[in-house]
Amino acid sequence: MSKIIVMTSGKGGVGKTTSSAAFATGLALRGFKTVVIDFDVGLRNLDLVMGCERRVVFDFINVINGEAKLNQALIKDKRIENLYILPTSQTRDKDALTREGVEKVLNELSKEFDYILCDSPAGIERGALMSLYFADHAIIVTNPEVSSVRDSDRILGVLNSRSRRAEQGLEPVTQQLLLTRYDPERVEKGEMLRVDDVLEILAIPLLGVIPESQAVLRASNVGMPVILDEASNAGLAYSDAVGRFLGEDIEHRFVTPQKKGLFSRLLRRSA
Amino acid sequence: MSIFNFFRAAPRASAVQAKERLQIVMAHERAGRSGPDYLPMLQQELLAVIAKYVNIDENKVEVKLDRGGDCSTLEVNIELPAREQAKAAAATKPGDKPAGNDDAATKRPAGGAVGNAGGKKRI
Ligand SMILES: Nc1ncnc2c1ncn2[C@@H]1O[C@H](COP(=O)(O)OP(=O)(O)OP(=O)(O)O)[C@@H](O)[C@H]1O
Ligand SMILES: [Mg+2]
Repeated sequence: MSKIIVMTSGKGGVGKTTSSAAFATGLALRGFKTVVIDFDVGLRNLDLVMGCERRVVFDFINVINGEAKLNQALIKDKRIENLYILPTSQTRDKDALTREGVEKVLNELSKEFDYILCDSPAGIERGALMSLYFADHAIIVTNPEVSSVRDSDRILGVLNSRSRRAEQGLEPVTQQLLLTRYDPERVEKGEMLRVDDVLEILAIPLLGVIPESQAVLRASNVGMPVILDEASNAGLAYSDAVGRFLGEDIEHRFVTPQKKGLFSRLLRRSA
Repeated sequence: MSIFNFFRAAPRASAVQAKERLQIVMAHERAGRSGPDYLPMLQQELLAVIAKYVNIDENKVEVKLDRGGDCSTLEVNIELPAREQAKAAAATKPGDKPAGNDDAATKRPAGGAVGNAGGKKRI
């Protein structure tokens, strides 16, 4: 049985696609057969971040419409064993995502994969709703910034009321926070919300804190998920987050300007 | 304190203000998520009652909501036309100012928070 994860945020541009690429790669690196699906119909970008943009022939919507077979649309990553990408259409719009269509594709994928990771578009409309509907687990990508935190709270509300699990009265979708673009220097100056402030407000467990890092742009320039950049703080932070997701007890890093402090000890509680 | 000082002295870190603002607005949003948004209905019904006694110009109705941490205030200002003064005075309790610009016709706690909103707007 595969597990369906949605990477979601409500607000746009907070790092969902960056995180989806990193997370899927991290899971595959640890030996799990993983597929990452781009739900941002019309604004295909995951292919660029994953570096497979020149190999896209068919897409998710083609499969939903029966215009292509699933294994024709799936792109196998060239670097990593066990990693597959299902790109989205650039020409259609989000109405192409029917619940039945999405369910059919997910059912087929779940026969083969350990993890199915859904990269949600911004907003709370059809694309976002479809990407979270079938989820077992949600990773809430949030920036330490007022509008992002508020939108994350909206998305948590949607997960608790409009997901399949909510509608069918099953165990709720499990939820974890991935705080990205965190700048410990600015936090120290009192210019940015602290991790524990955001945790207190959103009241969900912390999966990881990804620091603001120039490595993210460099990685996307060359189509390499940043988790493969093991010299970067962001890459290491994603790696830790994947470990925590799989149940490992890993201390939080890169949350203070110095290497370690009271902060990381405080954070252990909420991990 | 002038605006200038406000930015200069940074009396409270902006992140602290961010947190407080979020806590307040989200408490209200979470409470409102389950039920329907009753404010438009409340406004309509209030105006209907008042319109029974006074002619009101819909363009001269001002509705303000201030969502606070402990309590919220809903303020409805209705400008009464001068000609209706007598009729209005007869229909409402004495002490109402006649045909003022900022006559607060009614104030109610709103937004689910319990609190004594009283007759004054919180500052
Ligand atoms: N940790 C980080 N440090 C620096 N830049 C980052 C970080 N995470 C993301 N970014 C940058 O933020 C931008 C938005 O990232 P991304 O495309 O992953 O967001 P998104 O949530 O998928 O956006 P959309 O809502 O449009 O789908 C990109 O330019 C990316 O390089
Ligand atoms: Mg994206």
